[in-house]
Amino acid sequence: MNDCRKANLAHFAVTIIGKDRPGIVADTAQVLYALGCNVEDSSCTMLGGEFAMILIVSHEKPFSKKRLEAEFAAKNQGNGLSAFIRSLKDDEVCYREPEGELCLVKVYGSDKPGIVYRITRELADRQVNITDLNTKLIGSPAEPVYVLMLEAALPQGMTVEDASELLQNLKRELCVEISVRLITPVSL
Amino acid sequence: MAVQTIVIYPDPILKTLCPPVEQIDAGVLQLLEDLVDTMLAGPGSVGVAAPQIGVPLRACVVDVSKNRHGKENNHGRLLMVNPEILEASGAAVMREGCMSVPDYTGDVERATEITLRFTGPDGALQELRATGFEAVAIQHEMDHLDGLLFLDRITSLKTGLFRRKSYK
Repeated sequence: MNDCRKANLAHFAVTIIGKDRPGIVADTAQVLYALGCNVEDSSCTMLGGEFAMILIVSHEKPFSKKRLEAEFAAKNQGNGLSAFIRSLKDDEVCYREPEGELCLVKVYGSDKPGIVYRITRELADRQVNITDLNTKLIGSPAEPVYVLMLEAALPQGMTVEDASELLQNLKRELCVEISVRLITPVSL
Repeated sequence: MAVQTIVIYPDPILKTLCPPVEQIDAGVLQLLEDLVDTMLAGPGSVGVAAPQIGVPLRACVVDVSKNRHGKENNHGRLLMVNPEILEASGAAVMREGCMSVPDYTGDVERATEITLRFTGPDGALQELRATGFEAVAIQHEMDHLDGLLFLDRITSLKTGLFRRKSYK
């Protein structure tokens, strides 16, 4: 469980990125396993030809970031992988549940500069908190198409209809399709 | 009132194929009452299945009438023994959470229209057609009777797992 009760744990954010090949995850997991680290949370995916891993790992104290960096440096020597490690404070480990509605925003249309910026700026200015975001450039080189999907927690009091209305002007201005859908979980 | 403790995964009872109820007796009526009480006590809960309160039998309750997704379209409080889906059609994805799998939710595709047969508390066989959120809720609870969790239904981890917030 991702809460703050384990006071004896040190937490780190580990980012690994490099040219994709079979074995990146296994190599990374091997380093962590050998050190006795737990992978508490992770998201890993292909981005272009790169494989990118972001992990939240924990280890019983005492344990230093330097130790982790040294092990990754040794493992990744000559294999083209970059590793970046950040120590996390307790309040960074805690997951704060969003208060408001959760929505899925889908945007797609002919590629042009500023799609990500304009959409996310509009949301940020209204305190809409993005919790997940993916973008992809698809289509042909002659007619590239941009696709953006994001999940966001709305501030309390804002409805999905409000959020949709908020983005209507951008739909016209950027000439893209924008849809907003409620995805707040249902309790069953 | 007999609110029961919700069984949490990895308790093996949640992965058990539950046998049918042989006959409606006082014990089964008490079970149905406990399921209703436990459902009403859960925050925003719209259904509970027998294995979720530690009883491996094919019985569950569903009531979506207070939920925003179901208040316009429901059959009120359904107490179901040995429920069976006779027909299912349509498909829609909802992000589901389950009291037996705290802290996570997942996108699950389910039929949007089902024809259902079950035995009611009076022992009579009933048939009904449920649609929309009520159909989703019934399918989720019936999955518990087969030892299936929403975790078994998720198709994409990438967007399928999300820590859940408070329920509405």
